[in-house]
This record gives sequence, C-alpha cells and structure tokens, in this order.
Amino acid sequence: MGRYLAGRLLQGLAVIFGVTVVVFVITRLVGDPVDFILPLSASTEQRARLRTDLGFDRSIASQFWSFLGDAVHLDFGNSTFYRNQGTLSVVWAFLPKTLELVAAGMLLAFIVSIALGTLAALKPGKITDKILVVLSLGGLATPQFFLCQVLLLYTSVEFNLVQFGPGPWTHLIMPSIALALPAIGRLSMVVRSAMIDELNTQYVKAARAKGIARWRIVFIHALRNAAIPFVTLFGWELIRALAGVTVVVENVFNWPGLGNLAITAIKERDFFLIQTIVLVVAVMVVVINIAIDFIYRFVDPRVKLS
Amino acid sequence: MRQGVRVLGPLLALGLVVTACGSSGDEPSTAASSTSAATSDSGSEPTAAAGAEITIALGSEPTSLDPHIVDDGGERAINDNIYETLLFRTPDGVLEPGLATDLPTQVDPTTWEFKLREGVTFHDGSPFNADSVVATVERMVRLVADGKTDNDGFFGSLTGAEKVDDTTVRIMTAAEDGVLPARMYWLKQIPASAKDSEDLSDAPVGTGPYKFGSRNVGVDVTLEANADYWGGAPSIAKVTYEFSDDSATRLAGLKSGKYDLITNLGPQDVQAAPKFAAVAGQEHPILILDADEGITSDVNVRKALNLAVDKEAIAKNIFGGYAVVDAGQLLSPSIVGYNDQLSAYPYDPAQAKQLIEDAGVAGQTIQLVGESGRWLKDKELLEAVAGYWTEAGLDVKLEILEFGAYLDVLFDRENRADAIYVSSSNDILDADRQLSTYYQAGGIGSSNSNQDLSALIDTGRTELDSAARAKTYAEAVKIAYDEAYFVWTVNNEDLYGLSERMQWTPRVDAKLLVKEMTVTG
Repeated sequence: MGRYLAGRLLQGLAVIFGVTVVVFVITRLVGDPVDFILPLSASTEQRARLRTDLGFDRSIASQFWSFLGDAVHLDFGNSTFYRNQGTLSVVWAFLPKTLELVAAGMLLAFIVSIALGTLAALKPGKITDKILVVLSLGGLATPQFFLCQVLLLYTSVEFNLVQFGPGPWTHLIMPSIALALPAIGRLSMVVRSAMIDELNTQYVKAARAKGIARWRIVFIHALRNAAIPFVTLFGWELIRALAGVTVVVENVFNWPGLGNLAITAIKERDFFLIQTIVLVVAVMVVVINIAIDFIYRFVDPRVKLS
Repeated sequence: MRQGVRVLGPLLALGLVVTACGSSGDEPSTAASSTSAATSDSGSEPTAAAGAEITIALGSEPTSLDPHIVDDGGERAINDNIYETLLFRTPDGVLEPGLATDLPTQVDPTTWEFKLREGVTFHDGSPFNADSVVATVERMVRLVADGKTDNDGFFGSLTGAEKVDDTTVRIMTAAEDGVLPARMYWLKQIPASAKDSEDLSDAPVGTGPYKFGSRNVGVDVTLEANADYWGGAPSIAKVTYEFSDDSATRLAGLKSGKYDLITNLGPQDVQAAPKFAAVAGQEHPILILDADEGITSDVNVRKALNLAVDKEAIAKNIFGGYAVVDAGQLLSPSIVGYNDQLSAYPYDPAQAKQLIEDAGVAGQTIQLVGESGRWLKDKELLEAVAGYWTEAGLDVKLEILEFGAYLDVLFDRENRADAIYVSSSNDILDADRQLSTYYQAGGIGSSNSNQDLSALIDTGRTELDSAARAKTYAEAVKIAYDEAYFVWTVNNEDLYGLSERMQWTPRVDAKLLVKEMTVTG
C-alpha cells in the first residue's frame, strides 16, 4: 500500500506539473497584462518598463525557468492585480471561503441524495419514485447559472428571506443550495438505481426471510453495498464543484472565494495569480482522487489498492 | 404507514429547500440594522439619521490602498474619504481650497506656493503641515523615478517641494506646468512619517472625514467616521464597501436592501432601482479618424462621417436618454477649456451622402475598429455608427476586437486605422489629459499631424494663467472641430443606484464622498 501511495503521488505530481506548463503557456499566448494594469493614457516608455519588470519581454521558456526556480521556494510571484501581494497568500485568503461553500453544498448533496435515492428505491415505479425522478432530472438539467439567478431573485430580492455576499453563515445558505441541487439530481439517481439492484439481491431476500428489520436491511446492508458507484460519482461531483461550479455560484452570489478570485484574475490578466489558483486547485483534485481510492477500500474491503 | 412514506418523499425534497431559506429570515438586512438616532414623523421632511451605517457596492475591488501607487477606481472610491488633497473641487468641478487655504500663487514659472490650513491632524495624531506636504511630494517623485507608480502621467512633472514655514510650502516642477493646481487636487497627502514607505496599503492614514477600519481582501473594506475631522464630523458613522463585477448582482443587492449605493447602474436598470442618480460626468465615447492617410484624410469625408451620425438617437436609444450630445470637443462643460461656442455637427444624412459622393469615395471601404465590454454600450454604439456610415454610402468594415488586440490597434503609431473607437474619460478634470492623449500629434491615441494644434496644446500645458489656458484650449478644440479629427458622439452620464433612504447628489468628478451623503431615519 505504501508503494501504491507513492505511485499515486508521483502520478499526481506529473499531473500538477503538466497543468502548470499548459496554463503558463496559454496565459502567455493571449498577450501580456501591462495594458490592463496601466491607465489608457500611460506612455509607451511606462508600458515598456513595466513589461520588463514583470519579465514579459523575455521568452516563454526563460520566464518558465525563473518561475520554476522561484516555485521551488514556494514563491509563486506577486499578483499584478492585488499589488505587492504574493499570489499564494492571496489564494490562501480566498480558499477558506470556497472550502466552506463546497463543504456545505456537498454535505447537503450527500445527505439529501442518499435520502431521496433510497426513498425512491423502496417502491420503484410508484408515485413517490416518479416525483423524485422528475425532480432529479429537473435538478440536473437546470443550468447552474440560471438556477443561481432564480434563487437570488426569489430568495433575496422578491421575498427578502436571506441575504447574500460576504457576511454571516446565513449568507452561505443560498449558494450552497445552488451548488448542491444539480449534484443532488445526479447523485440521487445513482443511489436509486444502485439501491434497486441491491434490494433485489438474494442476500436481501434471505435477510427479510430471517425477519431482520427493514430499516436494518436498507441502511446497514444494502446502502453500504450500493456505496461504490455513489462514492465514484460523489468524488467526481466534489471535483466538479471545487474546480468549476464554484466559479459560477460564487460570482452570482458574490461569495468571496477562489471562483470569484479566478474571474478577477482572468479578467485582469493576472497571470501569476491564475497560475497559483490553478496549481492549488490541481493539488486539491489530486488529493481528492487519492482519497477516493482509499474510501473504496474502506467501504469494500475486497478492493485491493495496487 | 405506507401513505405516510408516499407523501413524505416529495415533501422532504421541497421542505429542505424551504427550511433552508426560511431559517435565516430573522437575519436583519444591512439597511435595517443601521442604528438611527434621529426620528422622523410620517409626512414631514425626512430627517438625516445620525450615526447610520451604509454599504456601498463597487464594481471592482481596490488593487491596493496605497494612495500613490495605483491608478484604479476602486482604490479612489475608498481613499477619497480617507485622504485629502491640497485643493478640492466643488461638485460641479471648480477648483477650490482644500487642505490649502487658497489657490496657489506663483513664485516663479516653475515654483508654486501654497498656504496650508492650520490645526489639521492625520488620523494617527501627527500634524498636517509643510513637512508632511514635502514628504508627500518627495515620495511621489521617488516612486515616479523608481518606476513604482502607475501615476507618472499625473505627477511626472514634479521635481520636489520645500518648506518655507510650517504653513507655507513651495512645490517645484521641471518646466512651466499649468496643470499643477489640478495635480494638487489629485495628490493625496500622507503623514511625514510615511515618506520612505514602499507600500502604505496595510494602514492608510490620512486627514479625511473617514478613518480606515479594516480590509479583508476579496471581501470588504470598512471605514469609520473621524469625529475630529477639521471640517466637522460626518453624519454617516460607518461605511462598508463590497465588490461585485456583476451588475445584476449589484442591482439585486440594492433591491434587497443590502446596499445603499451601487456604481455603474446600467441605463436599462434605472427603473428597477429603488432610486437612482445621474450626472453628466467625463465619459465621452468618440471615433478617432485618421487625418493623414486613407479615405479619412479628406476633411470633407471626416465632416460627412460626423453629419451621418444621429447623436440624439444614440443618446436616446442606446443610453436610454442618460447621455447628452457631445458638443464636438471631448471636453465636458465642467472642464476649463470647454468651448461654449461650439455645437455638435447636426444630423444631416443627405448632406453626408452628398459630401461622400463629391469626395469620390462612395462605396469605398472604411475600417472601424473597436472592442466590446470595456465601456458602457460600446458594441451597440459601434454597430449604430457602422449603420449610419453605411447609409451615407460607405462600405464599413467593422472590427470588434478582443481588448488586448484592440489596444494594439489604438496604440499603433505606424499604421493608423481609419476610425478607432475609444471612450475617453478625464479623472483630474484638466483638458491637457485628453488633448495630449488624443488631439496632439504623436499622442498615444492621436491620428493627426497638425503642428499648429500640437503647439497650442503645448502652450496650454505651460500656460500658468487659468484664463489664458482656457482661451488656448478653446482655440485648440475649435481647430480639431473644424478639421473634424473625430466623430464626437455623446457624453454619457454616470448612473448610480441608491436605496430609498440614501440622499446624495453625484459629482461631475465621480468621487464618492461619503461626507456628502446622508441617510434618512
């Protein structure tokens, strides 16, 4: 298992390096940020000097070489938007907010999708099941951007139930729901079909014949065996949330997390900040992937990590 | 039992959403949480609530809170309340004494003398005096020399300052500099102790009506009223700034009571806002015509391009009526140098067509370059202009580029495009800013080589007498008008969304001075 972990970590490092190279090159290909930083009326000399200061007058290879040299010392350069601030400390300041949002949203998705999926699987084809299937399809088919706008419009503006943006924990409610709803749609469908399969197996029938309480069969035996496909999809949803969906949700609800920061960084062409955001997100994705492998083993001891 | 489960499923699904929303219903909105000392009887004039707290939503977060390093609207919106300058402007844009007790006097052509207000202290208790002014000027001179500020366009002409006595200071410039008073309306005064600081972003200390409270990067900035402010304590006790680049989100926050003031309200959203305020600011979208080469080198063609465009219709239909027609000069009436003798080229499509035909260019291609998304209604305006020019008999090649590519065209000194869109603003309200950028031959966005015009703009810059400057600029502006170096369109208004309780009249210089705001209780 130690060898397995070492292998996965090496793989992870290769992925992170690859992503870094790609982002580094792509950002450099779209032109430099000097014109975005300086006022429109800045002189040509002023532009040239800033360009030299930031290293954009050198070749991409030479820039990448210095980037690597600094990165070894955990120096990922200064943000050009947040002036004179290290990009890692800026990312560090925004990261907890994204983790809060993803944790709250995915916890909600976890609980609700298991509850709804199981409920639907108990009586497949009946009215509860049908309603839940329709709701799930609706949830997963609604574009996140549209969903966020609708939630914002009705909860904050029309009925004034809850505010949004930075603030107390209540401001986290709507963005978490916006993050969770499509995931609930997808996850509950997986729970439903896996549970239907499990509840039709011989061991469940045997258990029922032995007179074991229904709730024990469902929650202790069947649910655990249905967990593998669920864990796979849940891991994917988690990555999707961290590396993508939060961008939309945070922007609409003005939640001050990494997604909002990424939009600012891209809009202002803050290359150093973009690189660091992508790097940090890549590290998280790699870690989650490795964690999922271990969770497989935990829920199903037959799984061998090799 | 079975019945119960059947109903429970869908209910659970809906219930989770509803309870999650409802549980926070007791959370007071920012608007409601403000403490109001004053009371108002219903039906009578609303009274200003003392000690109120407000929240302002800005479109962009400050990149730094150092008052000297960056040139950015988010920074200014906040620091304009913390820091002050030697000269102020009235809400209409006229220079007036600020931390100086009077407008400066001239010692010699490159030396200006300011008398300073007595008894003013910085938020840290240190005095505002000649020493602090010298420190301020010397820090800026150093930052410019070291290339550490984006503001050398504003302060590159300064060479230093010297103390005469505690309340008298002299500021020196490299050459005659008629813009100096306007520069001193722009240079924020820092304490003497901050002279050698590389970055003042962490703890801004000024003389202004508001003290720095806190800054959470990405989240908010708060300011608190300065009870000892020399101009009298302001009415609003605390200001929170939040940042959202999404105009729909800003508007949603205004409607939900979260925000009291939002910037850059879209003309289409005016009816949706609880209240709004508009002022003809400094923003002028124009089209720069290449006077030296190509189809636009003929003055009659350039005039035709002006006559072809219905400016009134652009103001009404594109800017929702929140724009006035530009009187053919890029300068707003609030700027010294505005020529009140000029009026916009009329909309005369027939004459435009005739001029195009007489010039022998009917059916020829004209290149029109612009971008989309940087300025209000830029794409809409470009498409409208392209339409008008097509009607006038030209084959318009409209190129809407990505911003970086667009800037390459705007700044290309070798090959000027026939027509380039730009929206010009003027932060310091001095004519030199726009004229040397777009009017003067060799300016980074100019497309003419008129040496007479260039000489006039140089004269205006070095002219020290304000009345003489105004006359010189009015003359320069007239030349460009007669030569039709641009197609002037409109001066679009700055639009702000306000909450019901907010009382504020916007300024022509776009400063968001909280001391000028009140909220009703």
